[in-house]
Formats: sequence, C-alpha cells, structure tokens
Amino acid sequence: MSDTALAAPGVASPRRLVWQRRRSAVARNWTLYRQNRQGMVGLGVMVFFALLALAAPLLVPPADIEPATAQGLPNHPPYMGYPLGTDNFGRSVLDLVIVGARISLLVGVTATFVAVALGATIGLISGYYGGTKIDVGLNAITNWFLVIPWLILAIVLSAILGASVWIIILVIGVTSWAQPARLIRAQALSVRARPYVERARVLGCGDRSILTRHILPNVAPVIFANAILTVAVAILTETTLSILGLGDATAISWGVIIEQAFSAGAMTNGYWWWMMPPGIAIVCVTLSFTMCGYALDEVLNPKLRGR
Amino acid sequence: MRVRYVVRKLGWAAVTLMFVLCFNFFLFRIMPGDPAGLLARSQRLTETEIAEQRAIFGLDKPLMSQFWTYLHETFTGNLGTSYLTGQPVLETISSRVWPTVLLVGVGTSVAIWLGLRMGIKGGWHRGSTYDRTSLYGSLTLYSTPEGWLGMMLLIIFAGSLGWFPVGGYDSGEDLSGLAHVIDVAKHLFLPAATLALGYGASYMIVMRSSLLEVKDEDFVATARAKGLTETMVRRRHAVPNAFLPSFTLIVLSFGFVLGGSIVIETIFSYPGIGLLTYQAIDAYDYPVLQGVFLISSVAVVIANLLADITYGFLDPRIEEV
Amino acid sequence: MNRTARRLLAVAGIGSVLALAVPLSATTSASSAEGTPTVLRVGVPNDLTTANPLSLRSGSDWNVATIQYDMMLQFGNEDLSPQPGLADGCEPNKDMTEWTCTFQKGVLWSDGEPFTAADVAFTYKLIIDQDISTYAQYFSDGTTFETPDDNTLVWKSPTPTSQPLTPPWIYILPEHVWSQYADLEKADLRAVENVPSVTTGPYTLTEVNRGQNWTLTKNPNYWGDEPNFDEIRFQLFTNQDAMAQALKNGDIDVATYFDSALLPSLESDPNITVQRNASDWWLNLAFNFGGQSPDSDPLPALQDKTVRTAIAMAIDKQGIVDKAYDGAAEPGTSFIHEIPQRWHYDVPEADQIPYDPDAANAMLDDAGYARAEDGVRVDPATGDRLALRMPISQETAGALPAGQLIVGYLDQIGVEVKILPVNEGKMYSYWNTGNWDAYIWYWTGEPDPNYQLTTLMSDQCGELSDGCWKNTEYDRLVTQQKDIIDPDQRQAVVHDALALSYAEVPSIALAYPNNIEAYRNDQVTNFTPVPGDTGYLIPNYNNVGMVTVEPVSGSASTGADASTGMSAWGWVAVIGGVGVAAFLFYRRRSRVDDEEG
Repeated sequence: MSDTALAAPGVASPRRLVWQRRRSAVARNWTLYRQNRQGMVGLGVMVFFALLALAAPLLVPPADIEPATAQGLPNHPPYMGYPLGTDNFGRSVLDLVIVGARISLLVGVTATFVAVALGATIGLISGYYGGTKIDVGLNAITNWFLVIPWLILAIVLSAILGASVWIIILVIGVTSWAQPARLIRAQALSVRARPYVERARVLGCGDRSILTRHILPNVAPVIFANAILTVAVAILTETTLSILGLGDATAISWGVIIEQAFSAGAMTNGYWWWMMPPGIAIVCVTLSFTMCGYALDEVLNPKLRGR
Repeated sequence: MRVRYVVRKLGWAAVTLMFVLCFNFFLFRIMPGDPAGLLARSQRLTETEIAEQRAIFGLDKPLMSQFWTYLHETFTGNLGTSYLTGQPVLETISSRVWPTVLLVGVGTSVAIWLGLRMGIKGGWHRGSTYDRTSLYGSLTLYSTPEGWLGMMLLIIFAGSLGWFPVGGYDSGEDLSGLAHVIDVAKHLFLPAATLALGYGASYMIVMRSSLLEVKDEDFVATARAKGLTETMVRRRHAVPNAFLPSFTLIVLSFGFVLGGSIVIETIFSYPGIGLLTYQAIDAYDYPVLQGVFLISSVAVVIANLLADITYGFLDPRIEEV
Repeated sequence: MNRTARRLLAVAGIGSVLALAVPLSATTSASSAEGTPTVLRVGVPNDLTTANPLSLRSGSDWNVATIQYDMMLQFGNEDLSPQPGLADGCEPNKDMTEWTCTFQKGVLWSDGEPFTAADVAFTYKLIIDQDISTYAQYFSDGTTFETPDDNTLVWKSPTPTSQPLTPPWIYILPEHVWSQYADLEKADLRAVENVPSVTTGPYTLTEVNRGQNWTLTKNPNYWGDEPNFDEIRFQLFTNQDAMAQALKNGDIDVATYFDSALLPSLESDPNITVQRNASDWWLNLAFNFGGQSPDSDPLPALQDKTVRTAIAMAIDKQGIVDKAYDGAAEPGTSFIHEIPQRWHYDVPEADQIPYDPDAANAMLDDAGYARAEDGVRVDPATGDRLALRMPISQETAGALPAGQLIVGYLDQIGVEVKILPVNEGKMYSYWNTGNWDAYIWYWTGEPDPNYQLTTLMSDQCGELSDGCWKNTEYDRLVTQQKDIIDPDQRQAVVHDALALSYAEVPSIALAYPNNIEAYRNDQVTNFTPVPGDTGYLIPNYNNVGMVTVEPVSGSASTGADASTGMSAWGWVAVIGGVGVAAFLFYRRRSRVDDEEG
C-alpha cells in the first residue's frame, strides 16, 4: 500500500513497473501459446473436464449414485436414460464418470500441489545455497528419492496406511516431489548467477527476500509447466493404485470405477460400457495435461520452439 | 580423474543403500493394525496364541532392539520369514525372480528397440505423417494407465479372440524343448506387450526430443558440410549424441518398470515378483514386502551406478558436472 | 549385414513369434492318450499358503488338506453327520466318559507303512501338547488316549462327552513322519512344509509352485475306491475373469470360489454347469456394547433394543442379496447359517423382524429419537446424534457393497453411517479396542454349533465376542447345550439360544452367501457334492468327490468356444481397429493433399 501512496500520479512505482513487466510477459507467452495447436486442444479438453467436475453436483443428483437408491437396472448396456449403461447397483455409468472426474482431478491437482510445493521449497533452497552443506544434504535426499522405486513405495505406503483419498494424495505427493525439486534446483542455480540477483545482494537484500522476490518469480514458469505434467502422472498413479484395489472404494474416482468394473467380470460378461468410459476419460485428461505441459515448455523455453 | 569419479559414485551408492536399509525398517513400523491379528479370525487364534505369534514375529520387543536385529539379520543375508507361509523371505523372492526378469527383460528390450527407432525416425523427419502419427500415438499410450491397457489387451486378445492364454507363466503341463519355449512365449506375449507399449511410448518421446535438440547443432551441420550422406550424418553424429539423455532416462525408469510389473503381473496372473508383492499386500505380509522393497531398491541403485559409470566413460564432459 | 536383410530377418522373427502364438490353444482335454497321465485341472483364486494341516489358512489350504487326509470319523455326504472313516465307529461306555473307537484293518499310508490307531493318538496328543487352538477345542482338559492294539483307540475324558461324534475336524498325520517334528517350537512346527506329503487319502501333494500351481498325485495305496484321475492340478488365477475365461476355453475342468458377478456369463454357457452351494461363512453386522478396553466408546443409544431393532427393520436384506451378491445368497436370519440344517434356526414368520422402514421410523419417533435439522435423529437421553462409525472388512466378499447399501437404508430412518473399509489386521484392532459402533465382518461356521454359540457369551468380552453383548439367559442356554448328548434335546436348546439372540439383536446376520463353483460338463462328470445336492464340489468336508469324479468319455474333441459367436468385446476390438485405420487413412490423405496443394 505504501508504494502506491508514495508514487506520484502518472509516475510508475518500481513495484508497479515489475508487475507491468510481468503482465506483459504473461501476455506475450499467451500469444505464443495460442499459436500452439496442440496446447490449445489440450487446454480445451482440460477446461471441459474441469467444468464437468465443478458442475457434477448440479448434473448428477446424489440419490442417483447412492447404491441403495439408484433406479437403473443392474449391469445393463446403454438404454433410454442411461446412455452409458449401468453398474451392478443400477447406477448410470455416465453419472459415475462425471462424478469420478471430481475425485480424479482432485487427487491429481492436490497431489501435484503437495509434490510441487515440497519440490519447489527443497529445490529453491538447495539451488540458492548451491555448493554449501545445505545443498549437498538436500541434493542427496532428492537424488535418493529419484532412484528408489517410487511406484513400489507408493503402493507399499498406501497399502500400509490404508485407503483414503487424502492418504493417496499424500502418498503421491511424497513420492513425486523429487523430479520437480531437481528441475527447480537447476533453474535456481542458473538464476542465482544472474547479475540482478548479485545486485540485490549487494544492495543488502536478505536471503529470504532474494528467494521470494527474485528467484521464485523467475523459476515460477518452469514450476508451473512442470506441475501441469505432474498432474498427469498423479492421475495415472491414482489409477494404478485403485486398479490394485488400494484406492478409496467409498470415493468414486475413474480408477475405482475401472477396478469395480473389472472385478464385476467386465471381461467375461462383456460389460464394455462400464469398463471403457472411465479409461477413455483418463486417457483424455492425462493427454490434455501432457499436451498443455509440453506446449508451455515450448513457450517458456525458446530453444524447444518449433518442435 | 576417472578413478575418482568411479569411487565417488560407488560411495554414493553405498550411502544410498544404507539409507534404503534404515528407511525400509521404519517404513514398516508406522503401519496401523496388528499383523498378528490378521490370523485371528481365519485361524481362530485365541488371545494367548496371538501374543505368541507377536513374539514369533519379534513384535513384542522395543523398537531399537528390533532395529538392531533387523540390521544384523539383513547383513547376514536373512530377510526374515513370511508371515503368510512361514517360509524364508529370501527363498520366497528368489523363487519368483525368473518370470519377472523374463517379463521386464523382454518388455523393456522391445520398448527400447521400438521407442528409439520410432523416436529417431520421427525426430529426423519432423512433421512428416510418420512423425505425427507416432508422436500422437505415443502421447496417447503414454497417457494410458497401463493397468487399464493390460485389461483391454487381456479382454480383447485373450478373452474375446482367444489368441493368447488368459494368464500364468506356462500352462503347467509337462512340456519339454521347443514346445515348452512356445508355451512360455505365448503366455509372455500380452504382459510383455503391455509393458513394451507403455514404456516404448515414453522412450519414443524422449528420444525424439533429444534428437531434435542435437539436430540443429553445429557439429551436425559440420558433418553435413563435409559431404556425408544424410544417413551417415544421422547414424554417426546425431544419434550417438542424442542417445545419452535417453540412456539416463531409460535407466531411471527402471524402478518405475518394476513397480509397473506389479500391476501387469497381477492382471495377467504372472507369477513373478510383482504378483508376489500383490499377494503380500493382500495378506499384509510385511516381511515379504520389506524384502521386495529392499531388493528392488538395491537393483535400481546398482542399475543407476552402472549407468553413471558407463555415462562417465561415454561422455568425457561429465567430469565437469 | 545390409538393411534389407536385417529387415527381412526382423519380419521373419515377428512372423514366427506370431505364428507360434496365434494358433488357438488346442484344448488338451482331461481324457488322455496312452501313457500321459490324466489330470483334473482345477482353477482357484487363492494361493496355497501352506500344505501343513496344522496351520491351514486359505480356502485352497483346506481343499488340499481335505483331499489328502482322512479324519477318524468323517463327515457324511448328505448332512455332515459322523460316518465311518479311518474308524469304523466309536462306542461310549455307560457314563459317556470313555469311548472305544475301532479302526479298519489293512490301511496303508501312501509310502507303504501301515496305518494304526497309534497314528491317531499321536496326532491328537500333538495337538493337545502344542495347544493348537483351532483343533484343541475338541478335547476337554485332561483327555487321554490309549491304544490297546493297532486297531483300537480308547478316548478317556474326565467328564461325560460326545466329542468323538462331533466329529473332531482333525486330519490324521503319520506318526512315522511327524514324530521328528513333535518337539519343535510351535512356530516351527507350523512352518513345516510337508511337500511331498504322506497321507491316507486318495491323493498326495507332490509339487508346489507358489503363485502358479500345485499338483496332487494319486495315492497308490488308497484304501477306498480307486480315483479316476492320475493327478489333480490346481491352478491359481489372481483375477476372477481370467479363471472364468479359462473355464470357457476349456483350459481347466472345474473352478471354485467364483465371484457372484461372473454368474451371468457362466450360466449362459451350455458347456458349463454351475453349482451354487450354501457356503460355510456368512456376513454379519455386529453392534458394539462396549467394554473391550478402556478405549471402547460405542454410542450409548445402541444399548437400547428399540434402536437396534429399528436398524434391523430398515435394512433390506433381500436388497443386499440382490445387489451385493447378484442374487447368489440367502437373506440372513439367525446366528448359525444353513449348514448344517440340524442346527440352523429358521425364525418363524411371526417372530421375524420384517423389512419395514416406515415402522422403524415410527418406533424411533415413539421412543423419542427426534430428527434434528439435518435429518439425523438425536438420542433424547444423551443428546448424541445417531451416527455410527462402521468399519468394514474389505477382504470379505460383498461386505463393502453391503455397507454402501446400508448407508442408504439407514439414511431413511435418520441414522447416519460412516463406513470405514479396512483390512483384517485393522479389523482385529477395532475388535479388540471397541472404538466402533457397528461393524461388518464374516463368521465361518463348522458343522458343530458350539464354537459359534460361544462367541456371543458374556465371558467372551475382549476375546471372541464381537461387541460384548451380555445376556445371562443366553449364557445359561449355551452352557446347557454343551453337555446334552441327545441330538434332538440339544437341538431344542440350541434353537432357544438362537431365537433369543435373534430377538435381542446383538448382531444381524445380513446374508448367507453362496459359494459358486462351475465345471465343464463336456469334460468332467460325476462329482459328489457334500453336503447334499447343493454342497461343495471341490472338497471342503470330505474327499469323496475327488474319488468319484471322472472324465467324460470322448471329450477330447471339445475345442475352444469359437462357435459362441463374437462377444461384445470382439465388436469393441473391431470398431477400435476400424477407427485407427480410418484415422491413419485420413491423415495420409490430408498429407497427400498438402503435398499436392
């Protein structure tokens, strides 16, 4: 607030200048991004599923997905009012897939948030103190988490901690922070060497201020692009855990629907309407996140442009 | 100094392994529930017998003393006994190693072969129909949960079309010679294909982008300027330089492949380490899980060590990093 | 090597792999050509955890032990009543404290050693000395055994007993093999691998590949009729679908422990005969009364019989049967299920708690449990909301869907349910600490009702009792039935105890699920289900069925069911393939257009 108060009308304050510069950078990147067909298609699909997830409670009345009150015929192929058929409780598979978007995206996004927050913190600190003991220690832990068979770790962890959406989020977060951490550390190392950081230090800025004011904003785009890709991995991991029966059976996610369809004899009974839609939904969503991630990467990393 | 580099990597691997050892122990002590209690209803044990069982598992001793016993036993090659079968864990695991080695070996070999080939061809002819088709195909496969992919392959090719058996390592009949090999190959086909499709796709993407990265570099232009044919430029100059990042990623993905084999082996009833892990999870057989986690971590650490060392020899610049 | 040659080689390689792989697995049927052994191929979904009869655990363990071993007296085919087995019979003395059992002559173990009464005495003593509780419950404290000669066992009990006729479900082990293990610690005794085994039954276990298959071979010295197969090979399928498919393809002859979900597809195949039998377990919802440990904190309102009855009235058991078990179950009534018939108590129509949510609502309204704003009732005495924490054993078939249904059923009467799906180890912790309100778990019965009745007794709080229900009248009845030797008199007392425990609702038997087995009627025939026509095909109680089962003559001609036409999945594959082809064609076209344009 004080900045704006001090600034004379018509004269931009330093902070406003910074924001202006950043806003124009975002606008420039958006223009570049818009030219990327792949990225735009991905974004479209992503937005569609995000809206679907948000609107789910409006589209699907809770009684329709409650096992005791669902009205459809059990295990029935598509018929009037049930465009994707029904499951064993007589619930519409379309309803399940719509509701499943909520949990799948929730897990994907929240787990990514955990992973990236953890990875960014560790990566930034490690990169900023590059070469010191702190860096060596943090880097060792990061490298170690990179080599352990993390999918096995995730499976073991969710098996022993029990099935609940929040535990799965935690497990995925804890097992996938190392990749972002490594990436962010490398970025931080290179940003640290830039002259303006040096200048800020000479001007007496503290570590914390340099980290949050100068390094973080510069690595933020990379963190963001990486986060988008991590969401795809998190959704796939949740599916894997659910397929192994380690998911939260009381929270309908796409993975849980697949697992239930498979164990209901989808293969032998020919329940294609129950087995295929959640799988296709997962492919669409992960593909959209992957395409957005790559497109962002290209926009932010000029070297990659034109691939 | 090459020697110093190797020694440093060896030291790092040793430290990592120690880390894994300790982590492995405490990981399995935070679990809720009582492993001895698992037997309560199925075997109708009385309270006294459950207490006895707890003592047999060593769960009645203080944590630190359990930890020292664990370290000592692990170093003497004793990974404990399975809660489920009462058999030694090491024996249990080693009897299941071969199918997994076969599955992962064949699966990843095919994935590497396919992925690198397609990546190179696509990257070199960027924007061609081949490139676009293979890139979008790979991106789609990469976004497909491999469990679901396996289920679909199983349903279509084993269930509906009946071309392949629905699961297992072999048909269990007494076959010998070629007939046995064919039998095993038939059972291997679908699980290995699931694995190869998923990982082949990600290798393709990586190889393609690393090739694109070197394609426009000076040394490629120089090679071309020297009058080499396009094929020679690609094979002698571009690919070897683009190969290194893919190589690291392939090795790094090794741990992921092992995890993925849990899902694939479960879906195809393939009796390797993955299925063993699934069965152990199902029965909360912690000693076996602990053993699997330890052994797979060791395998991954060793694979990484070998990769690092090979990398160091292949790329002299590595010394600077 | 040049490029073309390499490519040709690659094509040839792929081609040969496909050529090897693609031909349909020509069904090698049960009946065989000269020289090769005939094999009965059995599919099962759970692994063999142990072949040691002293530590049986999974269903497969029990199947394998039952095929191999004999009991002193065996369960009858029809109703599981005691029938001659290794012993021809047992006679009591006047005051029923001493039983004399006479054994068949000339029985040999599979390794050729003679079987004697000493083997029986050895096995029983081993169980008592090592205190293996699963089996030791059959013997009163201070029971001793004497073998005056090779064919006679004298069972001496300090108190009058009818235990020899229960009959004790104990498989007789060979003393000449097992005596070397008798002094081991219990854990080590239980870990004895016992492969290959020495048995008196029709088959012996000869090979075990955990995670894959295990094979039993015909016992050349078997004392009964000669079995019709040389080998029985069990094959593990970790997914039910694959097992059903293998049966449909004729890769296996029979399979057991099917999920009810697979019924429609199994029943539609004319070559498959489905056997639904009353299984030996049932699904149980228990209420918690508290007192297991200082941490137990059940909802006080559950002490009120009105609340428990209202909950029982709001649960649609038929709905659970239809939706959680696809109809392959019977709605539960009392605490002992239908096998065996003698002890099961079919609650008379008039005494039944009907499914009637409206009446349940009225009962709760009358008792003062008014609904709060959120629709959940409140206990007038304590002000607690009627909200139940309900752990559910997720390994128990049908338990989770049943729980999900119950959430909806109880919502209608203003009772909130929070289900907690957990593993057996966690279930056990709940059981011991008592920090739950109601849970859904299973109980397995055995032919004799004593064990099951005991679990509801007051003194079993913190031991076997589910929720520490306490009722002195029930305790009295159960104690009384134990000592009654006349079966009819005992039946009357057992039924009184069951009627009481049904009316008081300490727990609700939700469903008696069927066990589903299926076999290829064009490959094998002549199973002997036990007990009765709806019994188990793959032995659970005795091994008679494995002796009578035989290959269908001339069944070698059966092939895979290629004739049944293309399934839904075939169409999916075709449509998918056409889609990909169309996509590629379109892309190629547009590319050509680009180049031309």
